[in-house]
This record gives sequence, structure tokens and C-alpha cells, in this order.
Amino acid sequence: MTETVSPLAPSERLSVLARMTPARLAAEAEALLPELGEIEVLQSRSGLVMLPMRDTVMGTDFHLGEVLVSEAHIRLPGGVQGYGMITGHDLERAMAMAVIDAGFAAGIGGARLPAAVAEEAARQAAEDRETLREIEATRVNMETF
Amino acid sequence: MAYVATRGGERAIEQAERLYRAQMGEITPARVAEIERALPHLIDRVMGEASLYAPDLAALALAQSGGDLYEALLLLRAWRSTQPRLQTAAPVTQEVTLTHRRISAAFKDIPGGQILGPTLDYSHRLLATEVLEGARFVPAPVEKAARPAPACHPSLADWQKAQGLVEAPALAPVARDAIPDLTKEPLLFPAKRAHTLQSLARADTGGMLALGYSAMRGYGNAHPTVNELRLSEAEVIVRHPDGTEFSAGRVKTSQAEVVTTKGEGKLRLGFCATLGWNEVKTIAGATLDLNAPGAPKGSPVNEEFFLYHTEPVESSGFCIHFKLPHYVTFQSSLDALRDAKKRRETTEEPA
Repeated sequence: MTETVSPLAPSERLSVLARMTPARLAAEAEALLPELGEIEVLQSRSGLVMLPMRDTVMGTDFHLGEVLVSEAHIRLPGGVQGYGMITGHDLERAMAMAVIDAGFAAGIGGARLPAAVAEEAARQAAEDRETLREIEATRVNMETF
Repeated sequence: MAYVATRGGERAIEQAERLYRAQMGEITPARVAEIERALPHLIDRVMGEASLYAPDLAALALAQSGGDLYEALLLLRAWRSTQPRLQTAAPVTQEVTLTHRRISAAFKDIPGGQILGPTLDYSHRLLATEVLEGARFVPAPVEKAARPAPACHPSLADWQKAQGLVEAPALAPVARDAIPDLTKEPLLFPAKRAHTLQSLARADTGGMLALGYSAMRGYGNAHPTVNELRLSEAEVIVRHPDGTEFSAGRVKTSQAEVVTTKGEGKLRLGFCATLGWNEVKTIAGATLDLNAPGAPKGSPVNEEFFLYHTEPVESSGFCIHFKLPHYVTFQSSLDALRDAKKRRETTEEPA
């Protein structure tokens, strides 16, 4: 019996890839490379993303500060593009994300790629759940005398 | 006395730098990684003041400066200026951040409840001197709850606005690329609120504490109570070239609202936020924001006063520039002093 994996929305998929463990991201990208042909690198660089925040008092959007990111943008022989952006300085991770993104865009990788992303999404959700269980342990249950 | 051009000192300067760096010793990737791992609160403080979220670079700057915070900030702000800005992310709104700590000192029963998160607020402060005698300090593990906390919590201010307790201004949305930016525009007064809050976000923690504390002690016009203090992780939402928005990762943020009942039938709130987890800075900053309206010029809670005087690179740079040679200007003042003395002696001579 083949287990079917419901595909994640593109936004969620990209978010999962950006947070994927470096080893897994690299492994998935390397597995795709032979199928992608010659890749043209349009961009591979570090840079800054300005992060705004909304003031809770007046509702004003203001800049909190900049976040260091790494960005990769590639094009496959057929014109399909792939993009990766992750926080921190790690051009290899950003490139691996772009390769996987291009794989999805080109429909390469079969069922293996969506399954890997779904598995990683579940791992990330479990990691968050453990963090939130620790946080919940600090909830104050007050009683009035 | 004429102007005197001098030269020399090159060898002394070089050897002085060598002496400074020799006292720091070798900087290795392992040392930088250990600083990042062991000193998260210091890393957060430096990232907030540098206005650059990059924990490994903050750790490197601390290693290179030997822990001199102002030197570390200067390194980071200078490095930041070498990097291109690739995008402006979607604004962080507090109700969607992954909340680690969220408390209110003003309201006991806040929607979503009080979550202490990681804190020493109610702990004894005892120095673990046994570590210096060879023992290990192993923290006790957290006893996790059976169920996870909700990842996101509602905004207390929104609830207060809905209750009519505070003003709810309706602001027109601003495109993210049109948000005023202090790194590209001068700070002018009266300041735009976006400039004020950005300036507070990058301000010196110690400077803000000093001025905020002066307001708390009575040099301001309103006593603060923490309405809401929140430590979170916010998603950095960026755009794919095809327009899809996604999170490139998470960053730690802190934000504080302080409240006063001194108002015309409503509560008044002050706000401050910064990159990294830094409670003292955001509470002090929110106190300054609360006290700023109507503050007289020259008061520590006057906006121009506290924003100018808490910019860490400018203020530390101006302070330490006084130790650099001022021989000509000082000599000129000395000459003027001697002339005045001579004139006074001449006029005082008996006829």
C-alpha cells in the first residue's frame, strides 16, 4: 500500500525548507541534482532583510532592525526557477533550498520530495510542541484568597 | 602661539593595538561558538543595539572586542553597512509570534493567561561559587506540561481597545517599503513615531535604563505599570520571486507596553520593542515613550533628549573622542586664559 501525502501549500513548503536541518536539506538537494541538468546561478549571496514590527499602541509599523540572510536564485535549462532564502550566513543551505524549490517547480523528484517535506514539517511541529510544553509548565494558575 | 603640526607615534600606535589584541589572545571558531552558546542574553543585547540579527556575528564581535560592548556595536554596525538590503519583510504582529513569555503586572486575568517563560524573576540570586572549586552547575530539567501552550496569544492592548479602555487610532496601512527608516533618513523633531520606535529599538540598554529610571523615580509625568511584557520568536516573512510569502527563519523579539491611569478617562500606554530578548530595555523604553508627550525641552523624558542621548555608537564615539589629541584647541583655550589673566593683572596695577 502506498501512503499518499497531501502536498503542502507553496508558502508552507518554503517555510519548512528554510527551517529544514542542514544535513537533510543538503541530502535532498544532492539527490535531485542529477535530474536537473545544468543549473544557472542567478544569485548566491548574503544580505539583509529589514524587519518591521507593528506597534501595539498606535498601530504604527516601524523598523525593528535588520536580519542577516542568505539568498540563492537559480534557473534550470527549461527556464524554471528556484529560490532559497534562510536566516543567517549559509550560502550552501540557501542554494540547497533553491535546488529543491526548482525541483518542485519543475515537477521533478516524484513522490519522494513531497514526502520528505511532509516528514520534515512533522518533525518541526513536534519540536515546537516540545518547546510549547516547556512554556506551558510556566503558566501561572492564580487563586484569589 | 601658532598651530603646530606634529607627526610620529606610528610605532606606538601599532604596538598599542598589538598589546590590546594580545590581551584577548587567539580567537578561534570554538571560542566564538562558546560565546554564542553560553551568553545568549549578551548576544541579544548586542544584536538589538547593533540593529542586526546575526547571533554568530554578534559572538564574533564580542570575541574581537574582548566584551567591550561599544566596540562590538561599532564592528557590527560597520559590517552591516557592507551588506546589501535584499528585502523588507512583512511587519511582525504580536498575535502571531511564537510566545515564550507573556506577563502583565496591571491585570491578573489577561486573555490567554500569564506565562512566565524563562525567567529568574522569582528566584534567589546566589552565586554558584562551588563551580570555582571544581563542581559542575547542572540546571534541573523543566518538567514539561502534558499539553503544549498555545503558540500565539492575543494582544492585551487590542482587548483594552475593544473595551474602550484605551484609544484605538485607525491608521492607514503603510506599504512595507515606505516605512520611514532611520538608517536612510535623518532623525528630525518632532519625530515620526516610526522613527521614535526604531530609534528606541536600536538604543543603548544602559542609557535607556538610566533615563527611564529617572522617569520612574519621579522626573517624568507618569508612573509606569507593565501592561504586557512579551518575549517571542517572530517569523521573518519574505517574498519568493513569484510573490509567495514564506518564513526564512525565526528571530527573537521582545516588546513591552507600560500603562498609566493618568489620562482623560482612559488608560495611556507606552511601547517599546527590540530584536533579541531584553526586558530592561523594553520596559525602560516604553516608560520613555509613555512620558514623552508634552515633556518640556531638556527633560530626560523629552523625546529629543532621550533619543539623541541613547544612540550607542554616537554617544560612545563622542565620549571617547575626548581622549584623542585636542592639543591645538586646548592650547588655544589656554592662551585665551593667560591673556585674560594678564589683562586682569594690568588693570589691577596701582596707578
